[in-house]
Amino acid sequence: MRRTGLLALFDGPQTAWNGMSFRLCFVLAVLALATVPLYAEFFVVNNLAYFLLWTFMALGLSLIWGYAGILSFGQTAFFGLAGYGYGVVSINLGDAHGLTWVAFLAALVLPALLAALIGYFMFYGGIRDVFVGIVTLSITLVFETFMAQTAGPEWHIGSARLNGFNGMSGMPALTVPWFGGEDVMLDGNTFFWFVLALLVVVYLALRWLVNSRFGNVLVAIRENPDRAEMLGYNVRRYQTIAFVIGGTLAGVSGILYTTWGSYITPSSMGLTSAALPIIWVAAGGRKDITATMVATVFLIWVSQTLAVKGAQYALVLMGVLLLLVVLLAPEGLVLATVRGIRRVVLRVTGRRVATTAMAKRTEGS
Amino acid sequence: MKRMNRFRFKPTLCATAIVAGSLFSGAAAIAADPIKIGLLEDQSGNFAIAVIPKIQATELAIEEINAKGGIMGRPVKLIHYDTQSDNTRFQEFARRLIQQDKVNVIFGAFSSASREAIRPIMDRYKQLYFYNNQYEGGVCDSNVFVTGAVPEQQFSTLIPWMMEKYGKKVYTIAADYNFGQISAEWVRNIVKEKGGTMVGEEFIPLSVSQFSQTIQNIQKAKPDVLVTLLVGANQASFYEQQAAASLNIPMASSVNVGQAYEHKRFKAPALKDMYVTANYIEEIDSPESNDFKKRFHAKFPDAPYINQEAANAYNVVYLYKKAVEMAKSTDMKAVRKALESGDICTDGPSGKVCIDPKSHHQSHTIYLVHVKADHSVEIPKVWHDIKPYWLGQAGCDLTKKDDTSQYTPSNPPKK
Amino acid sequence: MLATLFGFVYQVADTFAFLILSASGLAIIFGMMGVINLAHGEFIMCGAYVTVLSARAGLPLPLAMLLGALTAGVVGIVIEYLVIRRLYKRLFDSIVATWAISLIATQGMLIVAGPSIEGLKTPFGSFEVGGLSFSSYRITLAAAALLILAGIYWLFVRTKFGVRARATIQNPAMARALGVDTDRVYALTFGLGAALAGLTGALYAPTMTTVPTMGSAFIVQSFVTVVVGGADVFLGAAPAAAILAFIQSLLTASYGQLIGQVGLLVTVIVVVRILPKGISGWMLRDSN
Repeated sequence: MRRTGLLALFDGPQTAWNGMSFRLCFVLAVLALATVPLYAEFFVVNNLAYFLLWTFMALGLSLIWGYAGILSFGQTAFFGLAGYGYGVVSINLGDAHGLTWVAFLAALVLPALLAALIGYFMFYGGIRDVFVGIVTLSITLVFETFMAQTAGPEWHIGSARLNGFNGMSGMPALTVPWFGGEDVMLDGNTFFWFVLALLVVVYLALRWLVNSRFGNVLVAIRENPDRAEMLGYNVRRYQTIAFVIGGTLAGVSGILYTTWGSYITPSSMGLTSAALPIIWVAAGGRKDITATMVATVFLIWVSQTLAVKGAQYALVLMGVLLLLVVLLAPEGLVLATVRGIRRVVLRVTGRRVATTAMAKRTEGS
Repeated sequence: MKRMNRFRFKPTLCATAIVAGSLFSGAAAIAADPIKIGLLEDQSGNFAIAVIPKIQATELAIEEINAKGGIMGRPVKLIHYDTQSDNTRFQEFARRLIQQDKVNVIFGAFSSASREAIRPIMDRYKQLYFYNNQYEGGVCDSNVFVTGAVPEQQFSTLIPWMMEKYGKKVYTIAADYNFGQISAEWVRNIVKEKGGTMVGEEFIPLSVSQFSQTIQNIQKAKPDVLVTLLVGANQASFYEQQAAASLNIPMASSVNVGQAYEHKRFKAPALKDMYVTANYIEEIDSPESNDFKKRFHAKFPDAPYINQEAANAYNVVYLYKKAVEMAKSTDMKAVRKALESGDICTDGPSGKVCIDPKSHHQSHTIYLVHVKADHSVEIPKVWHDIKPYWLGQAGCDLTKKDDTSQYTPSNPPKK
Repeated sequence: MLATLFGFVYQVADTFAFLILSASGLAIIFGMMGVINLAHGEFIMCGAYVTVLSARAGLPLPLAMLLGALTAGVVGIVIEYLVIRRLYKRLFDSIVATWAISLIATQGMLIVAGPSIEGLKTPFGSFEVGGLSFSSYRITLAAAALLILAGIYWLFVRTKFGVRARATIQNPAMARALGVDTDRVYALTFGLGAALAGLTGALYAPTMTTVPTMGSAFIVQSFVTVVVGGADVFLGAAPAAAILAFIQSLLTASYGQLIGQVGLLVTVIVVVRILPKGISGWMLRDSN
């Protein structure tokens, strides 16, 4: 039995939470976030935008790792390429007449093309499993090492200096041409709303994608690539397409990060940076995009808060927290938390916890 | 295919989640009487070794100032965030200091990359910022003051001295990034100017920790002087490895010993015949220095070493105090104006140092430090009051024209 | 000419030793057991710290090195028991767990021992060939790399423990049915990997700066060598290290360190593209 209608497009077996109550919750959460700038301080809004901008890279990794079963260790290559791409194009074009959007688009095309190239190279070359991880890691480290030594004035593209390890700066923020001449710069509240809106669009699009035929085939490939191939699916093409989408989303994060701080650096493609998205996605519960998204924001918030409050113990405490998550919440931070809260709520309301009810699906199958 | 467990999503859960989400909003900062100094320094991670003395020196200076009644009668409050040797932390916390804590001034940063990460933020919000660290030079930025030593101060003294003493053939190995490349450019120019020759120049990625090939290359080139501009823990391994291979060539550097006290950490004779120009090291035996060490060790008895960046970090607090007192206000424009008066000086651990109005940099006493075979040090020469002359000569004049660029000898300001 | 030739051979041997020693513990933990061990560098750091501290306390250097390896091994067994044991059925989560351990170990060491400790002097002095002088200790490192390779091979192929370990890892249920105490085998195998990593740290301790983050200098090389080697670590690791060492040394000697570093990574990409199952997969292609 399958429900029809527009809303049902976003639901299905590949997302953990579906149905009317989740939709309500989602709308409430988005509204709650969207109204933060109305009462919160400038800094809080700015910081929240910063947390959100990383989630695109995590969502992309969730798609290719959690859904398609490809562990990429090099999403930061796309992040960095997009960041530098935005820097080079926007510095050369300037920020008049909304030209920054040309830079935005150009900087999205670059990682998409790179991902297509690498994806073709890997998946059509029969590279699988950990080998994918090592190839992608090598690529991001090559980028990092190369960019780090471009300090001299001879390394420039147009009027944009690459500036080596110290990083490229001076790129304009995104601007929107507004009625009456004056361009509006996306900073503070406007930047936050823009990131939030983009995130909602990307999230819904991914919900639709993973629950579509395409998404189901991806999961089938994850579970058993050989069987999927036998059933007539072009495994390599599916993997390449998923990889391109994941790379492009990493690029979105790269662009947003670059405009947020007017700065992009080779270390954002280094080993530590490359490991972070994997940590967020793995700890959050990689097989669900909602879980990934919530966990990413949560973990970035925790690590920042610890750095503020924990002094030199911050990194140790972060390590302990991650260790506890892995040991106590095998299904991922978010799923485990929801399950835990649910258990408490049920106990408080005096209803018995029926395991069958836990597993029961919201809709008929 | 395994089916995922699913739940009914209850509105109660939903409310809990949203309440949890609202935990993000921090408490509003309360405007109060004290002068607030923001400090961004790496207490953890890669750079902690050279940075911990900086943090201690800053705390010491603030404690002293508060004990003597603060600045214009107002107490000084330090807000320090641990930036964990991570550029993104610098960006996050620079914004936090400016927007949430609303500090009067920001000090700190060790690596040039972290300084470049926060400079766009300082410029966007016109925040007064002091970079209190030795670096590759050339930052000409209206909102930024630099109190560390720069190449013209360290190399115009060091290189001619070395060439005179040991010979005119020079080989440079340098970390392959901005600091190393720009410093190497300075060395190259000075060697040429003084009639010497570069017999080799090699740039080494920061991740490299194995140097056998480099050691062979140096031996083949037979230099009289080896300039080592190596940075970070990985590259520091060079010294032990060159000693093990009996390289035996006098070395010159602007970064070692003064920052991460390699002569204390490595077994002798790894740094034998290393010459460094530093604006301060713990071994300096002068009344100012000895007094500073006494106060430092009284507050931090376990401090392993007091490096030159500690002296820079200490001076910066007093320079800021002088500037505020002259401006009679903490208003950033007024303080900047006072700093550009040319009369802002302080008597620090290495003697009198002053801010140069044009370039926003600082004059230094430069000590030539010689590490002997047993790793004890001697100071064969001292240059007093070396000015940060290059930026001003090249055409950076922040008293007349605002700027936010970083220049190098091969990429000077456009006139 | 002779000096140049010897210099190149010495350089290849040196890089080979670095790759093999970096990879030795990981070959077991990651190559055999499949645990993606991002704390590999921290086992190395642990071995180095114990070696340096005990040598400075007066223990003769070889004993100090042994103690370093043993300590890392014991720490490995404890970590296996507390953490890794729960993750064999979900190996991807070992990324998060070992990353967390790495954070705790690095920063914990910084808090406990300070940002750096005084190092050791490299033993054995130097020798000269054709006017160039070389460190004798680095020849020892190359020899140690070969010995360790031979030792691992002997242990896993020729001894009872090795056979049990391989049986357990290939099919734990079957091994248990045949009376193997699989929990113990897992713990010992993991501990052995950690001990080998510790030994690497011990061997490199006299040549490097002893800082809490020193493990990161090994981590990329270790994973790259193990993966290029392929699924059968006994067959694959040595030729993989040899190929990578030769190419990196050639590029470094001709074009400098930057090209050497980048060249290593590009070689990895190319080798994996040509041999998608790694070198051992290619060597065993007929039997599959």
